[in-house]
Order: sequence, then C-alpha cells, then structure tokens
Amino acid sequence: MSLPTRPLAVTINGHRRGPIDVPEGLMMIDVLHEMLGLTGPRLGCGIGICHACVVIWDRDDRTSEEVRTCITGAHFFEGKSIRTIEGIARRDDTGRVLALSPVQQAVLDKFSFQCGYCTPGFVMAATVLVERLARVPVPRSEVEATVSAALEPHICRCTGYVRYYQAVRDVILATPGLTRDAG
Amino acid sequence: MRTPSSDMRSTPGVGSRPSRRQVLRASLIGSIAVYVAPLGSQAYASLFEQQLLVRPDWDAAAGVLKYRIDGLSKVTGAKVFARDIRARDMPHWPQQQAHALVLRTTRADCSYDGFDLSLLGDELKPDRVVTANDLTRDGLRFPDFYGEDMLLPEGKTPAYLGQAVAILIFQDFVRFRFAKEKLQFNDAVIRYGAITGPLQRDPWEAVRFVRVGGATPHDDDVFSSLKDAPFSPGYEKHEPVWPAPARDGNLAARGMYHASAIGEELEHPPADWVVLRRRYATQSADTAALEPDNANGWYDSEKQELHLVVPTQSPQEMAQRAATMLQQSRIGLKQLFLHPCYTVGYGSKDSFALPYYALVAAVYGGGRPVRLANDRFEQFQAGLKRHQFNIDYTVAVERGTGLLRSLRAGIIANGGGRKNVSDLLVRVGATSLGSAYYFPKTDVATTAVASRAVDAGSARGYGALETMTATELMMDEIAGELGLDPIEFRLRNVLKTGMRNTQGAIPTGTLRAETVMQKARVHPLWSGRLARKQVYEAAHPGKYYGVGFGCIQWRFGNGVEGSLSRVELAGDGRIAVFNSGAEIGTGTSSGQAVACVRWLGRPADAVELAVTDWTDLPVETSGDPRKMSQDEQDRLAQNPRWSPAYASASSASNSSYYLSHTTREAARIVFVHGLWPAAIAIWASDAAAGSRVPALEEARWREGSLTAGGLEPLPLARLAQEAHRRGLVTGAAVHGFNRWRWAEAEFVVNGLSVRAPIDALSVRYGEGSDASAATAPGRYQVLDRQAVFFPPTQNYNAMVGLSTAAGTLAELVVDAASGQVTLLAHHTLLDCGTMLVPDLVSGQIQGGTATGIGLALHESMPLYEDGPGNGTWNFNRYHLPRGSDVATWTQTAEILQPLSEDEPPKGMAEAAAIPIMAAIVNGIAHAIGHRFRTLPVTPDQIMAVLG
Repeated sequence: MSLPTRPLAVTINGHRRGPIDVPEGLMMIDVLHEMLGLTGPRLGCGIGICHACVVIWDRDDRTSEEVRTCITGAHFFEGKSIRTIEGIARRDDTGRVLALSPVQQAVLDKFSFQCGYCTPGFVMAATVLVERLARVPVPRSEVEATVSAALEPHICRCTGYVRYYQAVRDVILATPGLTRDAG
Repeated sequence: MRTPSSDMRSTPGVGSRPSRRQVLRASLIGSIAVYVAPLGSQAYASLFEQQLLVRPDWDAAAGVLKYRIDGLSKVTGAKVFARDIRARDMPHWPQQQAHALVLRTTRADCSYDGFDLSLLGDELKPDRVVTANDLTRDGLRFPDFYGEDMLLPEGKTPAYLGQAVAILIFQDFVRFRFAKEKLQFNDAVIRYGAITGPLQRDPWEAVRFVRVGGATPHDDDVFSSLKDAPFSPGYEKHEPVWPAPARDGNLAARGMYHASAIGEELEHPPADWVVLRRRYATQSADTAALEPDNANGWYDSEKQELHLVVPTQSPQEMAQRAATMLQQSRIGLKQLFLHPCYTVGYGSKDSFALPYYALVAAVYGGGRPVRLANDRFEQFQAGLKRHQFNIDYTVAVERGTGLLRSLRAGIIANGGGRKNVSDLLVRVGATSLGSAYYFPKTDVATTAVASRAVDAGSARGYGALETMTATELMMDEIAGELGLDPIEFRLRNVLKTGMRNTQGAIPTGTLRAETVMQKARVHPLWSGRLARKQVYEAAHPGKYYGVGFGCIQWRFGNGVEGSLSRVELAGDGRIAVFNSGAEIGTGTSSGQAVACVRWLGRPADAVELAVTDWTDLPVETSGDPRKMSQDEQDRLAQNPRWSPAYASASSASNSSYYLSHTTREAARIVFVHGLWPAAIAIWASDAAAGSRVPALEEARWREGSLTAGGLEPLPLARLAQEAHRRGLVTGAAVHGFNRWRWAEAEFVVNGLSVRAPIDALSVRYGEGSDASAATAPGRYQVLDRQAVFFPPTQNYNAMVGLSTAAGTLAELVVDAASGQVTLLAHHTLLDCGTMLVPDLVSGQIQGGTATGIGLALHESMPLYEDGPGNGTWNFNRYHLPRGSDVATWTQTAEILQPLSEDEPPKGMAEAAAIPIMAAIVNGIAHAIGHRFRTLPVTPDQIMAVLG
C-alpha cells in the first residue's frame, strides 16, 4: 500500500507509544481504536459535536485541556502527552484498577450514567475542570455555573445530565483549594 | 470452549412471531447449534457480564445499593460495548480485522442501476463486494421479519431512502477509512435509471378499536375490543376501506355500526355538548442512542462456525433469526456463537437489521473477522426512527358537568420502508390515547403507512408517547373552552380504579393519576402560576412566563411478555441470578440483583444477563401468542412444557416488572422450599426457641439475617449451609408468561403443592440431596406442572395490565425577540410501585424528561429526500438537549409512596418522558396564549405567532 505515512510518537497515560507509521490524514480516534486498542474515547458523532471522544492533552506549561480526537489528526499529537479514560484511575502493572480518581468515584457514587457511552468524555471534562480550578479557584457561589459551562459541550442521551453535574459539583466543593470565598 | 451436547434446542423470541413449532430446551435451532458462548479469556473479560460486574455494595441497614454493579467498568473506559471489540480482543479469532461498509441509495423515485467505484482506483478498491447477486446465488435472504431485498437488485426501485445495495469489505482499516471518505456524500457512486416514482404499497397495518360503554364506567360494554374485538379494513388503491356498518353483521360490520353512531352523534351533538376537532402532528425523530449500530463477525469456513459480537436488546430473537437465516442458505453452518454486549438503543437496537448485514459481511470476509460499524451519518441514514404521527381528534364534552362524553380519533403513523414493529406500535398508540381519562364512547382508527422514509421502529414511548401527548394537549384545549382550570378538568374525568379503558378492559392494580393530579394542583409551581406570571413579566420585559401540566396513566409491556430467571444459592450464601433480559444501560443488572432482596435478604452477588441457554428449564412454544384462538391455546397447554411465548426483548420499562418478576418468583421458591425449612430446623434444634414453630408470614429479613417471631436472626450463609446439608431447594429456574396478567401454574415441590405466577419450574436440591433426582444437566429436577392457568387469548385485546401514573409541571419563559423557550424548572410526580434501586429510578426520570424536552422543543427531521436517508445528517443539525436545555439544577421529582411494601415495581422510564412534552406545550400556551399542535415547537413557529 502506498498511502503516505509519517511516524507518530505520543506519550499516552504516562507511557511513550511509538513511533508507529500512521497514514497522513488519519484522525487520532482511529489510531487509538484501531492501532492502540484504546476504545474508551468513544465515537459519537465524528464531527466534533458530542465530545464523547475527548482525551486530555497535558501541555508543557502544566495546564491541561480537552481535545476531540474525532476531528483532530493523529499527527497533531506528535511528541505530545495525553491521557485517555483508561489512564485516569490508578492501576497496577496488570492493569487492574487500584483506585478511582475523585471524579470517577463521584460519578460512580451518584449513579451519574446509564449506558455509559458518554461517561469517558464527562470524566475527562470534569478532570480538566478540577485541574483548572486547582490553578484558578472560583467563588463557591459560582461552582454550579462553572460546572454547567465546562460540561455543556458534552452530550448525554440517557441521564438528563443532573447526576453528572451534581457529581462534579460535589467533587469541587469537597476538594480543598478549588473554591474560594466570594470577593 | 464448550462443545454442544446432543440435546440442545432453540431459543426464539416472541417478537419473531413464531409460526412453527420451536422446541426451546437449549440452543439447537434446526441443525445449527447456537451458543451465547462463555469464552474464558481476555475476550471473556471484555464480553461477559459476570466478569464486568462487581459484587453489589449493599448497605444492609439502609437497604440501598451503593453503586451500579456495572459501574466500575463503565467509569474506567473498559471494553463494555460491542463497538469496543476488535478481532484482537477475541483470542480464538484470527487477529487481522477486516472492515465493511454498506452502500445505500439516496433516492427512492427511480430505478437503481448499479454503482461505480472507479473513484477508489486500484489502491482503495475493496477486497470483496457483496451484492444481491451473491445473496441470491448463496440463498442468503433477510429473516422474514425484515421483508425482501436485503441488498437491492439492479433494476428495481428502492423501497425507501437509504436502502442497502452492496457491502464493501476491506481487509485492513486504513484502506477502508480512506475509501469511505471518498464514497461518503458522493452522489456519483450510485447510478440511477428511469424515474418510476416512489413505490406505492398497502399500509403495514390498519385497525379500529370501537367501544360503546354501559350506563356507568363499571357496567358491561355494549361493544368493545375486549368484549368483541378490534377489526381491520380492506384496501383499495392502498387506502383502508372500512366495511359497511350493519347492526347484526359480522364483527367488523357491527363495529362500524357503532362507529357510525358515534360519528353521527358527534356531527349532531346534544345541545349541551361542546365538540372540538383538533389535528396534532408529531415528528420523525432519531433515537440517537450514542452507541451507533455495529457488529463484528467471523465466519470459519473450515469448521462452518459463525461468531458474532453484537449489541442487541433481544439476544434470543437475534439467535433465532441469524441461525434460521443461515440454515435456509447454501452457506454451510454447524455452529453459531453469539456474543451480546452491553448496549443502549431506546428501541433502535430492538429488531434492527444491521447485525444481519454484519453476518453477511462475515460470511464473505475471506476468513477474516469483519467489523461493520455505522458512523453517525450512517446511523442517521439507516438506524430505526421514531414514527411520525398525524392525529385527528374529535372530542365531545358536556358543558354543564365538564365530563368527557365521546372521542373519535384517526391516527396515521409513518412506518417507513420496512414494516418492523409498525403493526404493533400503532395498536399501542391507539389503545393508549385514553391515558388517564374515562370516555364513555370511543372510535379509534389507526393506520401505519408504508413509505419511502427510513424504517421506523420501537422508539421510546412506542406510539403511546405521541397519542398521549396529543390527548394532553387536547385536555388543556377543552378546559380552556369550558373555562375550567386544566387540572380541575382532568380530575373530573380521571380514570379511576375499576373503570374501563377505551378497550373495555379494567386496568390491573390501583390507578394513581388522580393522586398525581391532586398533588400537582397544590404544588407551588401550579397554584402560584398566575401571580408569578405577573411578577416575572413585569421584571423581565420581552419575556413571557408560563406554566403547563401534563399527566398520563401509562401501561407498560406489549401484551405478550415472556421471561426466564434462575436463582442459585451456594453453600456459603452467595447468590447468583441468571436472566433472559439484556442490559441496555438502564441498570437491569442492578435491578435483577436487588430483586432478590425480598426473599433472600440481600441482592445477588453475581448477575448474568442475556442468558439464552436454559437447558435446565425446558420450555416449548409454538403458534402466535397474539393471534391464537382459545381452543388452540387450550390444546397446546396440555403439553406441560408449553408456553405461549418465550423471552421478551429488553426495554427501558419492562425490566423492572416483567424481567424481575421471574427473578423474584425464583427467589421465593428458594426461600419457601429451602431457606425457610432450614431456618425452622435450626430454630427447632435451639433450646431457647421453645416448641413454637413460627408461621411463614412472620418471616422478616433484618440486615441480612432471617428472623421470625423474635427468634434468633440467622445469617443467610448459615441458612444456605443448612439448606444444602439437608438437601433442600437451593436453586430454582422459572419461566413466566404475561398477557396483561401472569399465567399461573401448580407444581409439587418436595411433596408440597405450590401455585405460583409462573408456568415452568425446575428446582435444584442442595449438596446433601440425592443427585439421582436431577433430570437436567445442572442438577436440576424439571417439574411437570400439575395444572396451568394461562390468561385467555382474548386478554390480548385488553391492551392494559399494570400501569404507571406520571405527571409533570413545566415552568418556562418564551423570549419575545427570538422565540426561544427556556425551561426554568420542572417537577415530576411519579407512581412506580416499589422502587428496586431508587437512584436508578431518579436517573430514569431525569433522563426521561430530557427525552421529552428534546421532542417538545428540538428534535425533528424531514421524512424524505431532505431527511436522514440522504446520509448527510448528524448532531450538527439535529439538536439533542444539552445541560442548559433541561433545567439541570432546578428540576425536582416526587415518587409516590408505594401502596404497600409488597407492591411490585412498575415500568417507568418511558413514562417519565411523556408528560413533560405536553407540560411544555401547554406552558407555552400559558405564556403567549397560542396553542401549538405540531411538534417540536420551534422558535420559528413561535415568532410566526408573535410577529
């Protein structure tokens, strides 16, 4: 096959993967699903609307942000470091889950999801939000609005969102340093 | 991997309308052995729920489940969906994964003349192209349910937009991906010929339900569907032609006689009647389950085995249809391995066609596993849709009393290109429109039309959502006409317990719509709405404030429900449940675990769903349970293994009642014939207990231990150990059948006569028993029932059993400048019996109301050329409700307390979606004074009114 390829090396969930030959123009979600076996970031729409496919890009300045892998070419991630839903919980060498992240635990405690197809996207968005608030806390009175704004792009068909939003709010309010008194 | 035993028989589903004898003891369908195969490896961990589930974390003191038992897998991104599975996850499969796509027509008004793949060049050329010619040569055709032309032959006019013409198979992903990019949205690929116009076909169904009640709601009917029957028309030029009325004619003629009389009375009503005629329309919509349809299959030609990983709401049905499809072909097949996974569908994965295309792709895959997975554009183009409804109501009400007197309805639902469940769905819609109200006379005619639209299926609400919403809009209109408060008007007409519905049947159980209405009437959202409107609008110029209400009495189930469950107790007290239902995201697995609590004191430790191997519980079925005569049923019932239906597909609303019924009954058998006698024996040996033998009615579980009359609480583990030691009953497998009430049967268990609401029973005795009593492989003893009491066949026409009451108040604001509607808050009142898992019920209400909001305000698609069949639809132009659309932080709900502690759980997920639709539209009327009758109500519609 003569489709042009370029090498791709990405750090995923703390492990350097590649370089592997990836055809130019392939989206990152296809690399994750078909080449790396990471199917947690889910294909919902394929056009960047539903946000079920997001991963966290850990930037060099120690900030993090969501990136939609269904509309982002794989080579955008060359040399970058990302986290997928599979890397959010703490695991042992065999991959067994040792401890959930606070966001995952809250989502589980709150019965936030039903089918769970969108859950990885919500967990990633909430994780990025928590990490942002750790750098820039918000007034406690603005937590609900902050959660709403952060999760608004994510589509869930089953739940009506309430329990996702409540779970993330509760994590933020219970985690020292994410909120501040107004003023 | 297990090998087939010589004594395995098939597992058809009721949805397949079995027309021939089907013996159901295990997994042999015709000559093909069918497995829902435990694999025992990485794929096993990925696919099979017992590995994905964790032991329930049960708070015994509070009596609640702490987590969904499938939660850990879902929150950590584990491979839980069929969509996640690739060949490499299946250790016994070849590891090279091939990929397939389906070419589909985007026109249905001219002949299909082939396709042109030259734009792919040599590099992206598919490795295999499958067309109708291949299928014809190899004798592969759709299961009967799906009709003809699985792949459309050249020269024919497509029956509908998006009809499949070819399957392209690529042996690697990259070429598949880039080829698809070139093919998608390219109108030059499919060639079309002569203009023929769309196909004209008879409707999928037309049926009429007429009732003339007696003097009071409790008297015998003069004519009704239950007393007599529904009837159907003939067709002329594809339009229904109803028979001529005749007072003493046949059923249809008599029905038309009464229908004509109702019509005549509405045309020339008594002086104090107000007669309103209104036409309502609901939209075609996508179910929009986030997991698009997909399947992954491998055909091993050497061993003649087919392996399929599938998402499905009905695994039994799929096993039956897939095996039959292959058996009737010239493709050699000895064994079929089916791997159902967690899924979500809202009806779109119930009787859907994609797995059969995947099956074909696997057969032509050249020995490689082939994955067929829709992207969202393809899902819009080919996934099952919600029926579009046109509803024409004429309602008469007595002005002086405010009592409903008569209703005539003409309902037309667009079923699209294939019949699917349209025939059943329009019946449900027609027989649900009475909802929470009593009508002395009704004439309801309904038609499911065949069209070139994409197939419509069993979308959430199943036809009732549409008709009940129209009814609720009509209730507000009539109340307005009479100058009555809308809830006061509803209360005057509410269907009370013991009254007859529009079929002349008396719903089972206590009807609680009245309670819902009474609570809504005094809720601050309603009682203060006029004052708040003034205050709000004064403070917010350019905004119109409104509050609306909707209420339904919603029956769940489809009139033919079958369910199997097996409950087993290990010697250490661990409980395992096996059930025929599938997990579709609603928490079925958690619910089944909790269904054990009533009799075993705590939830099951392990739950396996989508079980199709019921070797230990031989049940046979034959005939069509919906159409068979009473004589036929009586004759077949003489076979002690026979039941009218086997296992139902899973839906959001049937798991809590229909599926958990059998689990609860199996647990009851284990308790009554295992744990209870074990407890008596232990207490009898305890000197402190004295000589008194407690009665079964005294038994109580307290924090996992059994007590009675103050006797020593005995932990389940101790009881289980004793039951095993004594050889008592430690496992039970049961089958239940429901035709708006449960079949009952008598059995002899351990010498004791038992009557239970089940129709088949096998029991397993403890380790200390004589194993020779076992008559089935799993040490089970199959019990011949001594007598059986099936619900009469006429009961099918009742179309009502237990039902759920739900009402919603919606508080909203309409923006005068944009026509945008913003929900400020909503409050739902729900009666759902005894909740199995309260957190799941609450979640279902929240999810259901979001669905209703979407259908009231946002979701809609054209049916035809501009609609999803053209392959260009996605979530960029189909707005699913977001967090900001659903009043996330301000919505509330109240669950009515169950009437008694043993009231069964009722189906509720779909019920919560419906009343909010009318509440919103009625609320808009309150806000701007205009009643909309076409859904969704869009800003454009509103601006057209506001000017």
